Amino acid sequence: MYLALKEIFHEKLRYSLIIAMIVLITYLIFILSGLSTGLAGENTQAIDSWGAKSMVLNKDANVNLNQSLITDRQAEDANLTNREAVIGQAPVVAKHQGSPKESSSFVGIKNDQFIAKNLKIASGHKVHNNRQVVVDDQFKSDGYRIGDKIQLNSLSDKYQIVGFTKDAKLNVAPVIYGTLSAWKQLRGMENTNAFGSAIASKNVNYNANNSQLKKYSIAYFISKLPGYSAQNTTFDFMIGFLMIISLIIIAVFLYILTVQALPTYAVLRAQGIPAAALVRTIMGQSLILMAAGIIIGAALTLLTSRMIPIGVPIAFNVPMLSMISVGLLFMGVVGAAIPARKIATVDPVQVIGG
Amino acid sequence: MSVIELKNINKYFGTGTAKVHVLHDINFSAAKGDLIVVVGPSGSGKSTFLTIAGGLQTPSSGEVIVEGKPVSELNKKQRDKLRLNQVGFVLQSYSLVPYLRVKEQFEFVRKIKPNGNLGHEELENLLNELGIESLVNKYPGQLSGGQTQRVAIARALYANPEIVLADEPTAALDSARVIEVGKMFKELAERHNKAVVIVTHDTRLMDFADQTYEILDGRMSVRKPTHITNNQFES
Ligand SMILES: Nc1ncnc2c1ncn2[C@@H]1O[C@H](COP(=O)(O)OP(=O)(O)O)[C@@H](O)[C@H]1O
Ligand SMILES: [Mg+2]
Repeated sequence: MYLALKEIFHEKLRYSLIIAMIVLITYLIFILSGLSTGLAGENTQAIDSWGAKSMVLNKDANVNLNQSLITDRQAEDANLTNREAVIGQAPVVAKHQGSPKESSSFVGIKNDQFIAKNLKIASGHKVHNNRQVVVDDQFKSDGYRIGDKIQLNSLSDKYQIVGFTKDAKLNVAPVIYGTLSAWKQLRGMENTNAFGSAIASKNVNYNANNSQLKKYSIAYFISKLPGYSAQNTTFDFMIGFLMIISLIIIAVFLYILTVQALPTYAVLRAQGIPAAALVRTIMGQSLILMAAGIIIGAALTLLTSRMIPIGVPIAFNVPMLSMISVGLLFMGVVGAAIPARKIATVDPVQVIGG
Repeated sequence: MSVIELKNINKYFGTGTAKVHVLHDINFSAAKGDLIVVVGPSGSGKSTFLTIAGGLQTPSSGEVIVEGKPVSELNKKQRDKLRLNQVGFVLQSYSLVPYLRVKEQFEFVRKIKPNGNLGHEELENLLNELGIESLVNKYPGQLSGGQTQRVAIARALYANPEIVLADEPTAALDSARVIEVGKMFKELAERHNKAVVIVTHDTRLMDFADQTYEILDGRMSVRKPTHITNNQFES
């Protein structure tokens, strides 16, 4: 460690440049991971808040809430306890004079079932009739207020906002919670036998007792949200590639520096300095460079997260970022392995007398 | 009594038709207090001889004995220890770590080997003796050739070895400096009671030697002290 630090402080410019590269990569990884977590959250926040363990959908809906319709007949034998809740979902566009239009997800629920019962109201109150809705906070930041009467799609009837709830996003769209009757109306199915889009259950093994209906675990249901898996895979790939790039950068730089310093290492070996001490030096340098890069990168990320405009879906999952940091440190060790080998096997005779 | 002894050393490089016989039946010994200079032209086998003596290379046949112990019986780690504790190398170049100040060159040795080095006062005396006490805060890149060589000598002596092996210590030095360095090695052997072996093609160093050997084509012979100066082998 002595040599490692001395060399870094003596060759400030050289090592600053390497650290700068690592900072940029770490920063990019952290921001990407933040966006990944943030976007994933906007896909699943509402579902997460329900606390359901399984979802029952029409088996022909391809695990897509949008496509699923359960009829009264199909739900006939479904035994709905206080652990089940019916959901009627529909994509809608909300409008109110003076505020931007919101592409939203309408979720019709029943007041006496667990989703409605557990819904956390940040301000205002719960839905009391078919013309009232509770909406996601995003409406608030976009200028909507309690008491506003909003138009949904092109329906002539208006719906009044009576409350706001936090973190209610479904597949990146803000959620409008209303009644199941309102949902029927939005879908133009007022006088039909439509029951709902899905049944959410807190019971992993819930059975709706109908061959047209199929139960999915909540994890599987989430993985099938439109675009969700593709988006996560894309981010994971980018982060993976950046990890590999960081490995290559540290390996190449350390290798070049090591090759330049080989005569010095050879003399030290001739003077009886154990190879292990020199290997520790290069490993130490690699870890110091990586750690410095990670710390500065994390600080920049923190700064960025403070300045980033509201609405950009960025969220930091500290355990995940810690894992990434450990992964980067590990890359540092791997990257130092080749130069370390070079040092361990240097032949002191070659520098003597030539 | 000799602290280092080479017995019937032969060294070959390569195999088959490419095989070269670099050292022929070398017998050599050095005692504490001796300054021994081995002269010979370039390619005669001086460096090979020195690295075998210091345990950096193994001879093809024969035995190196340091303080009564055959080096061939030591494993790699023990040979590192031998070089760390008993043998000090002074080389033509790269002897110093470029990013350590002069004083840190010693500090680094102390980190690796906490015991058996010169004490604080002994080191200061040595630096005074070598006239480099004012250079302790300088980096090797800021030193002249002669200063570098003196620091390298101090570095080799700091670990307090019995044997000092020097390879071409006067390369790139002018005549005045050569005399200075020669005197220094002489004092080193006498005052610090070390066995000092210098291999060089610089015959000017012969003036300071207690004994001079000559290597020609890998064969070593004793050379009579003839006191020829400014007569160098071609390099
Ligand atoms: N590793 C090696 N492989 C093959 N030949 C070598 C090797 N090391 C030295 N030699 C040869 O041995 C001879 C003596 O080399 P060296 O001991 O370096 O001579 P000097 O130090 O006197 O100039 C030279 O001919 C050199 O080419
Ligand atoms: Mg040589």
